[in-house]
Amino acid sequence: MANISMQNLNKVYDNKVQAVFDFNLEVKDGELIVLVGPSGCGKSTTLRMIAGLEDITQGRLLLNGKDITQSPAKDRDMAMVFQNYALYGHMTVYENMAFSLTLRKEDPNVIHKKVLAAAEILGLTDQLNKKPKQLSGGQRQRVAMGRAIVRNPQVFLFDEPLSNLDAKLRGATRREILLLHKRMNATMLYVTHDQTEALTLADRIVCMSMGHVQQIGTPIELYDSPANLFVASFIGLPPMNFFDVVIEKGEAKSGLFTLKLTEDERRALSAYEGKTVVLGVRPENIQEGGEVIVNVSVNENLGMNTLVHGTLSDEKTHITCKLRGWCEYDKGDRVGVTFVKRHFFDKNTTNAIR
Amino acid sequence: MNINALPEEKRIKLDRMRYTKNSLSSSLTYLAILFDVLYFVSIYESDVGSWYYKIMIGASVVYNLLFMLITFLSSEGVKNYKMGYGFTLIVMGALQIGRIFFLPMEALDATVTIKKINCPVMEQSQFVYVCVMLCLSALCAILAGVIAVVRTKKLSDYNRALASETK
Repeated sequence: MANISMQNLNKVYDNKVQAVFDFNLEVKDGELIVLVGPSGCGKSTTLRMIAGLEDITQGRLLLNGKDITQSPAKDRDMAMVFQNYALYGHMTVYENMAFSLTLRKEDPNVIHKKVLAAAEILGLTDQLNKKPKQLSGGQRQRVAMGRAIVRNPQVFLFDEPLSNLDAKLRGATRREILLLHKRMNATMLYVTHDQTEALTLADRIVCMSMGHVQQIGTPIELYDSPANLFVASFIGLPPMNFFDVVIEKGEAKSGLFTLKLTEDERRALSAYEGKTVVLGVRPENIQEGGEVIVNVSVNENLGMNTLVHGTLSDEKTHITCKLRGWCEYDKGDRVGVTFVKRHFFDKNTTNAIR
Repeated sequence: MNINALPEEKRIKLDRMRYTKNSLSSSLTYLAILFDVLYFVSIYESDVGSWYYKIMIGASVVYNLLFMLITFLSSEGVKNYKMGYGFTLIVMGALQIGRIFFLPMEALDATVTIKKINCPVMEQSQFVYVCVMLCLSALCAILAGVIAVVRTKKLSDYNRALASETK
């Protein structure tokens, strides 16, 4: 059982740079939380504060109700998996996995059982006598995870564990982590800048930018109901299209197109009559056939879908559409499209309008 | 060997050998080298009147180098449960005992005349010291070899039993 409570965590470095601002999160037992955001947003710093590798400048960190804010890393009962594996090159896989337990002077027979059990889970039984240099990147990362598993910690911390792997291996290892989480039902905190990892792995996602939490929610919440422009632009691939529109008499007008608002949209935008707001449309929410004209510049066939990049009729405003099926448009073709699902954001606060 | 009939603790101990090195034999071998070095750096301490300067000193140096090389290589071999290296270490250990009867014993009985005074080449205390070093070196090497042979035999039997069980 491991519940973590992060209360107003702040991190200010010696050079007065503040990396994390008022981080609040309650992690339930067995939950997989993914911290996602661009480089430098403070996600790794937050993870390192939880692990005890960075001092917490302000705030409280509780593990199962016990305050561990000032506890040293070794007493926190958390295991961390790093991006660069951090394996000992001169040791075999077995020795790497057994190392932390050997340091604790555990009974060698108990260590043996734990290592074999972890190796079995991770499919490393045949690799136990090999050195890390004889393994692939994915296998090395599994060894790093095995080293964490044998400790049987209360919390697993992953700091961008898949970043060093190629795309194919990343996908396979991602699925292994997911299976591992389901099998062990352990509390895990996972840091990544890859939104695909975040969406596929997380029970809940914490989206961060510039040290601030932007939104906490399930993957579908972040995708379907982004809290602000940052989350809307960060989650989703290709990213969301944004246009400035003026709300007038139940319509959203941009000068390039006019959209009739639905009842729900009218209600939400009632306070914005005559004002400019930001309209967000995901590329996959755009369909062929409609009055918004796109001048095609690039046509990318992905098999099941086609990515059409182009501009609106002013030839300045860029738009990306993810159209169903195999389309073959040439540069300069004009395609009429419809926005099926729309998001509106306050232009000043950047918050979603609901 | 019937693996299932073994007590669990013994079975795990044997299974552990599949993934861990024979570091006890390896460490004992390093100790054997250390004691040999201690012997060698002290044997010429009593170089009274250059008694040692004859052809056998060359042989002594060459043998010492060979001993250190072979023993060091054997330490790596026994670490990885190679039976042959275990026997090599036993032989090298026995030869260390034999060395007592070569230079130290000869030097103990020898005297040299310096300024018309008969001086012993090697004092009794030095003789005891070098003999102890050689004996300790021999003991470590033989022990390392015996442990290596026994463990390697156990491991190969266990592996054979495992292989037949999986068939």
